[in-house]
Amino acid sequence: MTVLLDVRGLRVVFSGFVALDGLDLTVEEGELRFLIGPNGAGKTTLIDVVTGLTRPVAGSVRFGGTELVGRREHRIVRLGVGRTFQTATVFEELTVLENLDLAASFRLSLPSLLRKRRGVSDEVASALETAELTALADRPAGVLSHGQRQWLEIGMLLVQRPRLLLLDEPVAGMSKDERERTGELLQRIAATHTVVVVEHDMEFLRRYARKVTVMHQGRVLREGSVAEVQDDPEVREVYLGRSAVRGAAAEEVS
Amino acid sequence: MSSRIALALCVLLLAVAPFTLSPFRLGLLAKYLCFAIVAVGIALAWGQGGMLVLGQGVFFGLGGYAMGMYLKLSEAGSAGLPDFMVWSGVEELPALWKPFANPVFALAAVVLVPGLVAFLLGLLVFRQRVRGAYFAILSQALAAAFVILLVGRQGITGGTNGLTNFSRFFQLDLTDPNGQRAVYAIAAVVLGLVYLVARLVIRGRFGRLLVAVRDGEDRVRFLGYDPAVVKTVTFTMSAVMAGLAGALFVPIVGIISPALLGIVPSLELLVGVAVGGRFVLAGAIGGAILVNYAKTAFSEDFAEGWLYLQGGLFVLVLVFAPKGLAGLVTGARERLAARVRKERVA
Ligand SMILES: Nc1ncnc2c1ncn2[C@@H]1O[C@H](COP(=O)(O)OP(=O)(O)OP(=O)(O)O)[C@@H](O)[C@H]1O
Ligand SMILES: [Mg+2]
Repeated sequence: MTVLLDVRGLRVVFSGFVALDGLDLTVEEGELRFLIGPNGAGKTTLIDVVTGLTRPVAGSVRFGGTELVGRREHRIVRLGVGRTFQTATVFEELTVLENLDLAASFRLSLPSLLRKRRGVSDEVASALETAELTALADRPAGVLSHGQRQWLEIGMLLVQRPRLLLLDEPVAGMSKDERERTGELLQRIAATHTVVVVEHDMEFLRRYARKVTVMHQGRVLREGSVAEVQDDPEVREVYLGRSAVRGAAAEEVS
Repeated sequence: MSSRIALALCVLLLAVAPFTLSPFRLGLLAKYLCFAIVAVGIALAWGQGGMLVLGQGVFFGLGGYAMGMYLKLSEAGSAGLPDFMVWSGVEELPALWKPFANPVFALAAVVLVPGLVAFLLGLLVFRQRVRGAYFAILSQALAAAFVILLVGRQGITGGTNGLTNFSRFFQLDLTDPNGQRAVYAIAAVVLGLVYLVARLVIRGRFGRLLVAVRDGEDRVRFLGYDPAVVKTVTFTMSAVMAGLAGALFVPIVGIISPALLGIVPSLELLVGVAVGGRFVLAGAIGGAILVNYAKTAFSEDFAEGWLYLQGGLFVLVLVFAPKGLAGLVTGARERLAARVRKERVA
């Protein structure tokens, strides 16, 4: 298997506070990797560094052999790294369709951008369907529910055909039914993409995760299958008092 | 449909104006059309792109001076020197002026100089992620600096007097009503063209991208676009429009001077757009014409008060009708449509 993402010795400091402390992480081509860890572990910060939003003080991020640190955000996107945000952000004044179309058009040259959109490309149409938003295509994205926004964001990511998808808590705040559908969507996406998902929800994890990386205080604490990670005493220690793991453990007993 | 009818009506009004208005009134209308051309650019940059351009006077001035320099040279006496240079004892034409004797060069400069200045400034400023109030203040400071430069280099620029005393515009005699009508017609056509270009830009994908940059510049980066490029291109377009307007202003009003380009005139350009509605091109155009008409009407016997009235109007609009008159119209139309729908259902 070839390594797609190779993070080495990443260190991020926010005015004295060490958010990432010499983090190492490797993700292989075609993997579906779950990233967990208590609040403040540095999960979002890691995504921020990979996508160029935050500059590390030390360390490197190699993506398919290319160094990403020091590149500007849109350049990294153009190299094939896409992300969603912990709180889904879409363009509320634009319609759902326009949001997707804009995401899909990022490789067009300036003169062709000046032209009007003609119809709906197959890619955008299929993303509309995937995100279950076909009926809302012409409504402004501002009217979407929380869950629908997350899906739109994932759809916007898919039409960009990235080689690596970084999803930051895609099911946070979703209803049980929405979670399930998102999980299925995630599996479908993972069949053809390399995906890193940050997720807190243990039940979700157990259903859909293969390999899990646990982060704590800016470092990788443990890596392994869901079962391995759940049984690890250190991981339990870190999560102690956190309902997620306790609840999950209790469920297992019953 | 109704907006098409409104558009046709406006075109008709502009077309009959030369035959119904006195030369004096027509000249005023032509001047308002110049401001309307600037307004289209402001609506593009501010309304669609969220860039609060407080220094459009600079680009208006660059276009105006480029045109004014050509016109002065075309009317220069045997020494080949503009009148004001002769009076202030300049003996040789400054190097900066020489190429402007060529009409093609001058016309190109009208477009290219404001465009290039805005392009370079935009790249510099937007790359550094200067935005919001910081950008607004920067653009305003630019207007102030431009005026100081113009006033300071009297030998080249005509100082506070600026460039004035024009009697010909290419083949047209500006003292003749027919010449004036022709200049008016040119302004109306340029306004129409500028409007069409802006409309195309707004309706294309680029227009959607521009709105996206306005509402979430940082998010746009993660779609793979560089917001600095989008903003620079738009800012440049708005500057070119202001430059064209400045160039037309010269034969229409007969003067271009620093007093027309500083902070206050730059702000005045914005007030019309705010009042008419910055999110709708037609609103911006209408607002610019309306506010400048009001200015003329009030200034005739109420000069001092106008400044306060205008300031008050600006604040009032921003607080109570941020979408301007156009926003009030579309709002009313939507409410009406909603009521009609309800009645049909009932
Ligand atoms: N811009 C910033 N300035 C200062 N501190 C920050 C900044 N961004 C993150 N931090 C801090 O860095 C630490 C790691 O934050 P991060 O958002 O990466 O955690 P996380 O693992 O994503 O947590 P959560 O599960 O709550 O999303 C936190 O303590 C946070 O307060
Ligand atoms: Mg986070």
